[in-house]
Amino acid sequence: MGQQRVAGPVTVVLVEDHQVVVDGVRSWFGQDGPVRLVAQGPSIESVRGVAADVLLLDLNLNGTMIVDRIGELCAGGQRVVVFSEHEEPETVRAVLDAGASAFIGKGRATRESCVETILEVAADRPSVTPPMAQAIATDENPHRPQLSEKERLALLYWFQSMSKASVAARMGVKERTVRQYIDRARVKYAAAGRPAPTKEKLLICAIQDGLISPGEVDVYTSLAARPSDR
Amino acid sequence: MTGDIEQVARRYARYTAIGAVVIAAAWHVGYDLTVTVTGWQDFRWPALAAVAWVVHTAVGAVAAVALLRGAEPPRTALLAAVALAVTVMVILACRPADLLGTIDWGWGSVGWIGVMLLWHRPRRRAELIVFLAANAGIMLAAMAVTGAFDRVSVAKYLVVVAGSVTLQLGYSVGCHALRASAQDATLLARRLAADDAWRMSAQRIHADRLRRYAAIRDVAEDLLERLADGADPGDARVREECTAGALRLRRLITEREDVPDALVTELREHLDAAERRGVLVTAPPFGGTLPDLADRVRRDLLRAPLQALDGARSQARVTVSAMSSMVSVAVVADNDDLAVSPEPVREASGVVVTYQRQGGEVWVNSVWQAP
Repeated sequence: MGQQRVAGPVTVVLVEDHQVVVDGVRSWFGQDGPVRLVAQGPSIESVRGVAADVLLLDLNLNGTMIVDRIGELCAGGQRVVVFSEHEEPETVRAVLDAGASAFIGKGRATRESCVETILEVAADRPSVTPPMAQAIATDENPHRPQLSEKERLALLYWFQSMSKASVAARMGVKERTVRQYIDRARVKYAAAGRPAPTKEKLLICAIQDGLISPGEVDVYTSLAARPSDR
Repeated sequence: MTGDIEQVARRYARYTAIGAVVIAAAWHVGYDLTVTVTGWQDFRWPALAAVAWVVHTAVGAVAAVALLRGAEPPRTALLAAVALAVTVMVILACRPADLLGTIDWGWGSVGWIGVMLLWHRPRRRAELIVFLAANAGIMLAAMAVTGAFDRVSVAKYLVVVAGSVTLQLGYSVGCHALRASAQDATLLARRLAADDAWRMSAQRIHADRLRRYAAIRDVAEDLLERLADGADPGDARVREECTAGALRLRRLITEREDVPDALVTELREHLDAAERRGVLVTAPPFGGTLPDLADRVRRDLLRAPLQALDGARSQARVTVSAMSSMVSVAVVADNDDLAVSPEPVREASGVVVTYQRQGGEVWVNSVWQAP
């Protein structure tokens, strides 16, 4: 698995142990779409060495949760998108903290939303799916950055409503502003999490796009790394 | 039952301590005071004997108060040394001939102070043995100094030592053994109660799981049989039913049963009912740890979203988000009949309900924020 971007369709490797899901995802991407499935297998080992822009990963392989393998996958800069029905906020937070670029919930995923997420991730742009929105909005860890009230509400409404348009109507702002709130929250969240190469790329793109300023990047430092007071 | 046993254990501890105080007080007043008064003439220095009695009373009182309060007395070592000084004072107050006589009350009595002083100390048995040995050693030294080592004196000495030590050490060790047994019984009762609670909750979870498995099996079995009998997967109706079955299976996989919560339980009942009506329900796992909610808050949180869910025509999405200070329940459904308020509705409980219609769907969201 590699990480360099190539011109043309975005390439995806799928790790999934259920054939019915593999077939479903393959049909979503189609023949001439913007996303191409280049390899798939039932385990991480079965696709090792295959270069792709994005690794689409089922979280439960043969009955085992593999949250703890995500860190090693992202360490080399591989963009990882998790595709799972385990949408509990704590699981989603663990996945994002390990360096995954996005989490797609199997419960409400559609072809359009899945492709959109993969394209955004491949371009290192902030991508926020509904389960991610809930996980970020409800994170009470004191080491997380303070989201603005509007950012937090936008995330929560995005998770609980039908569309970003309805979030905009409820907040009395334009849909573009809702997107900005959500994207900013995602970038802040990534900036304050454990460092991972995939997050660095996201932050660089966010700065280039003017979504945040370099001064707002406050990468998490382990308390153990603090110099002693004595 | 656990409460009763804990009460019995507490009573054992309390009444054995009271017993020690009563014995020490009765002995000190009944014997020590009596022989000091009646033998006043026989003392070499009766005033010293009287002072010794008062000092003994003072130390005994401090020890008794601490014992009944369930604590170690302050400066236990100093008080023990003062108690041993009482033995010395009474010996000095007596003439050498009365060393093992009736009026030499000190050395047989201070042992009870030792029992009270050391009652709550972790190494009480060893310390009490040392204290009683020191007390007996003082008497032995006095006998050595006065040369009272004849057979009769030694025999008297051994009788008093054996008698007082057996009583004092025996009472202390016996009471503590009793207390330890009572504590063991308490621990055992607690463990049994915990096992009972665990077994009952496991049974409840198991029963709930069987109920849900049965419901899912009915759906899956019927669908699979029809597919096996040649139902056309291309048929829109069959596909719709397959989707409904898949949604229910997904919920079965991700539903948590380990934390029974009144809000989630009530929501699930309505989810099940909607599914039985053929509504396609998506409900991501209800996340976070729900804070404890007052009944009226829970009712206000659920009322409007449940109305939206109950009236859903063909599909509904149910979400619950929670933080320690916030709970938000939302339903998005194709409910055409629900009356919606254009303005947020503020309930007396603090719950705020917001409605929105868009693209044939209604979004009902009730939010509670901790005050």
